[in-house]
Amino acid sequence: MSEQPLMNLSQPQPVSGWNAATSSWLPAVILLLVTIVLWEAAVRIFSISSFIVPAPSEIAKSLVAQWGTLMQATVVTAGEILFGFLVSVIVGIALALVIVRFDWLGRALYPLVVLFQNVPKVALAPIFILWFGYGLAPKIGLILVIAFFPVTLSMLAGMQSVDRSLLSLVNSVGASPTQILFRIRVPHSLPSLMAGTKIAATLSVIGAIVGEFAGASDGLGYVIQFASTQLDTPLVFAALLLVSVLGIAFYYAAEILERIVVPWAPKFSQA
Amino acid sequence: MQVETIRPAGGRSTHIRHDDLISAKGVSVVMGTDQNRQLILRDIDLSVPKGSFVSLIGPSGCGKSTLLKVLAGLVSPSSGSVSVAGVSPGEAARKRMIGLVFQDANLLPWKNAVDNASMLLGIADKSMSRAALRARGQEMLELVGLGDAAHKRPNELSGGMRQRVAIARALALDPAVLLMDEPFGALDAITRDSMGQSLLEIWQRTGKTIVLVTHSIDEAIQLSRQVHVLGINPGRITQSLDIPLPYPRDTSVTEVPEFVRLVLQLRTMLRSSHEPGDAT
Repeated sequence: MSEQPLMNLSQPQPVSGWNAATSSWLPAVILLLVTIVLWEAAVRIFSISSFIVPAPSEIAKSLVAQWGTLMQATVVTAGEILFGFLVSVIVGIALALVIVRFDWLGRALYPLVVLFQNVPKVALAPIFILWFGYGLAPKIGLILVIAFFPVTLSMLAGMQSVDRSLLSLVNSVGASPTQILFRIRVPHSLPSLMAGTKIAATLSVIGAIVGEFAGASDGLGYVIQFASTQLDTPLVFAALLLVSVLGIAFYYAAEILERIVVPWAPKFSQA
Repeated sequence: MQVETIRPAGGRSTHIRHDDLISAKGVSVVMGTDQNRQLILRDIDLSVPKGSFVSLIGPSGCGKSTLLKVLAGLVSPSSGSVSVAGVSPGEAARKRMIGLVFQDANLLPWKNAVDNASMLLGIADKSMSRAALRARGQEMLELVGLGDAAHKRPNELSGGMRQRVAIARALALDPAVLLMDEPFGALDAITRDSMGQSLLEIWQRTGKTIVLVTHSIDEAIQLSRQVHVLGINPGRITQSLDIPLPYPRDTSVTEVPEFVRLVLQLRTMLRSSHEPGDAT
């Protein structure tokens, strides 16, 4: 998200359409290819053992050989991420609405939510396994505690940043608190909420993998852990690659959602 | 074209006319905490006749915006009384008798112009159908000269157009009085001129009472029937100036010798209003 404005800075003048897209992506693609080639060369020249740093070609071989297992694990992890992400967004929004609408409840809840944010939630994973077993539930729970906070916080920030004179305008004609909430505050918070949702999408991937590390019999996190005990480092890297692809996919899905939900919002990341 | 009454500072006008839409008597506003109390407005007497166009002008910090907020019911005076159409400002606002326009148009970015224009009316009158609100919004957009921009979102409108939508939104309530706080303050000079002309046309067509807060001497004289000058420390009405130029006025009014004379007079009044009220 942050690399695109940087690219814009290095562009002397606006280039239109396909050319603009190519010229903004090309340097990154070239750098990536050069890195892969250097990596491959370094591993071969210094004959580094493949269980310490596998060459890109080894990783690719492993990816092809274990394709079936890896795909099955990817589907499991993707399911956890999607489910956990949706639960986080729903809970996060509900919490923000309750905090804003019911003042006394908000004053009770908000400090506790912030306090809870300081708990290292990754450390909760073993407890969730203890409580909910090895299935889907502990992963959803872990994603929820990791990912709801940016949703709640960004929506609260959006709802509370409504201009005072706009509020006095609607107050002067006798608007009810519910009217102000749903006609002004909630729509006004959407651009900010969508930014928080994108962060939650990224955190959901982390939550799922950590959940699988703590105890699972399936999924990419499980593959990574299992492969590393077998010293099958190429497989570890292959699984890592797929986790990264999942992360990118979820991030861009959230960004597409943003464009659908708030087409009127000012664009921060225009290529 | 003859008389202009200059009221000395602190002098109370004794004649209270029956057709005053707004009347404030002895209004003072104190703000701040107990340790740091500040007298924002002192002993304001103001009467605005029905159908009139009145401007409040003064140096920044004189409390002219606060005075407008008092008239709108957004700030309650610490002492004194205010009535708008015979009731308290707050009640008048709830009865949709007050239309507000601020320097910032404050449009909802997710709604198009016509929905923005009818937004306040929709909140105030829950019984109105969507179609009726749209029709009213469209009617008001046409009144402010934006009839063909109904489906544009605020980010597709210029600053002047956004402010026109804000005026349409206030007019949609069909208020008795339009209270405007530096509505053209953020606009460039050319846009300001055409907005002023439009406002005059709207005023003459609808017969609304208008109270305009401005820091522009030209604008105050060009548009209003009466100008009240506010002094600073504390904010108070130091002088009032009647503008006897005939309506309808257009921008050519600025070339009339009488206009130039009024500008000079108002400028002198403003200069003396900078002096603190309490001789120290």
